Amino acid sequence: MASRYDRAITVFSPDGHLFQVEYAQEAVKKGSTAVGIRGTNIVVLGVEKKSVAKLQDERTVRKICALDDHVCMYFCKILTIFIGLTADARVVINRARVECQSHKLTVEDPVTVEYITRFIATLKQKYTQSNGRRPFGISALIVGFDDDGIPRLYQTDPSGTYHAWKANAIGRSAKTVREFLEKNYTEDAIANDNEAIKLAIRALLEVVQSGGKNIELAIIRRNQPLKMFSAKEIELQVTEIEKEKEEAEKKKSKKNA
Amino acid sequence: MAATFFGEVVKAPCRAGTEEEEEEEEAGRRETPEDREVRRQLARKREVRLLRRQTKTSLEVSLLEKYPCSKFIIAIGNNAVAFLSSFVMNSGVWEEVGCAKLWNEWCRTVDTTHLSPSESFCVFYHLKSNPLVFVCQCSCYVAEDQQYQWLEKVFGSCPRRNMQVTILTCRHVTDYKTSESTGSLPSPFLKALKTQNFKDTACCSLLEQPNIIHDLPAAVLSYCQVWKIPAILYLCYTEVMTLDLITVEAFKPILSSRSLKGLAKNIPQGTEILKKLMTTNEIQSNIYT
Repeated sequence: MASRYDRAITVFSPDGHLFQVEYAQEAVKKGSTAVGIRGTNIVVLGVEKKSVAKLQDERTVRKICALDDHVCMYFCKILTIFIGLTADARVVINRARVECQSHKLTVEDPVTVEYITRFIATLKQKYTQSNGRRPFGISALIVGFDDDGIPRLYQTDPSGTYHAWKANAIGRSAKTVREFLEKNYTEDAIANDNEAIKLAIRALLEVVQSGGKNIELAIIRRNQPLKMFSAKEIELQVTEIEKEKEEAEKKKSKKNA
Repeated sequence: MAATFFGEVVKAPCRAGTEEEEEEEEAGRRETPEDREVRRQLARKREVRLLRRQTKTSLEVSLLEKYPCSKFIIAIGNNAVAFLSSFVMNSGVWEEVGCAKLWNEWCRTVDTTHLSPSESFCVFYHLKSNPLVFVCQCSCYVAEDQQYQWLEKVFGSCPRRNMQVTILTCRHVTDYKTSESTGSLPSPFLKALKTQNFKDTACCSLLEQPNIIHDLPAAVLSYCQVWKIPAILYLCYTEVMTLDLITVEAFKPILSSRSLKGLAKNIPQGTEILKKLMTTNEIQSNIYT
């Protein structure tokens, strides 16, 4: 049935599917795993980072990108990660960055996280309704603080929908990570900044095979500049997490005994 | 001829028949000696050869005629192969008995001396302490025209019925026929399909109708059904077809089945071996971020 209605984006199947959009969501699952967490005073974005080919310049393989970067007084307040087709991600990020600057020049206010998310989602939706084009094969996690100081996390997908989340994961094995987050995201866990960071790393470690050296992490604290974690800092966090895990297991075995 | 909405030109079927066209086609179809030679060379290239380990010579009889077994476990695909390597073949001493060499447009099998998870190979082992337990690790694609040859050379033309065959493989979750969207499926998950003579219980639910399977696992299961050999196929539907920890761990329930019981002795060590296998080949793709 699918094959008769999946060759063109502008064709619905009799049971209401837009197969090309659903297939675009499969393209997202071919990308790495990314996780976003909205804490009380912090937002965290983490992503799986695979090793780069030997002769490739690692600088050109950055996954977490700033969408707006206020000059002078303000710090970068909106971070994003796109998972799926790299080229599609580059194009959409460029459009979003231009929109951020255009908004600021027009109304003299920086964009809100919701505004730029809506812009990206609207752009993606346009490409699901045009003849001769295909949908963008990317999902995005967009985090940041608005001027009112409230942290935000939004997720968009190839269909052009967007929703706010407390914590979410996209990409390969996203379901496994999301289930982990559902079990472990508590108000206590995110009240403390350090706990929120650890939660993001623990969630990624569920699916990232090779540990801390394959994780890229960035945070924004309220009224503070963006911070990209170095490999050492991530390793430190991972060591702490492993210690806590061991202690929890020792306690469990004592209880059972 | 007709043009579709998208501009493709499609040959419309004609009930009136196409007699004149058929005669012309037949004339073109008559084989020349050149055609025969090309066909012969192609057949030779696509031949499946089963080689003995030490001498690297071809086996005269089928593998299971030479090495009869009571338990035959076949892992097809890189995740199934990784599962067997990590959890079953980590305990006991396994001796390589032979390998299958084949070529097709999708793969060329490599020599068995330095096997890496990213290469294509098809190797047969038996347990030294109990040579009736046989394992096959097949990470190469066996094309449709080669499947029958593979079966003949491994099972033979008149296989024994007193063995149990277990096949492990993976498919992408979009192959799973369901009215639900694939996003809501709990992938990776296991499904089983068995032959009529398989009387034990499966470790997971059976594959629901339409229970369609493909490629070499389908060929082996059909063969076992025809020859009344008890066989079961464990199929892991996953979103990640490359080597993936979560997909491989989805096979774990099979360790408690009758076929694999007693073979997997050290499961924690298995998880460690699996993690090591994973770290060897994880280069960032440039197309997908």
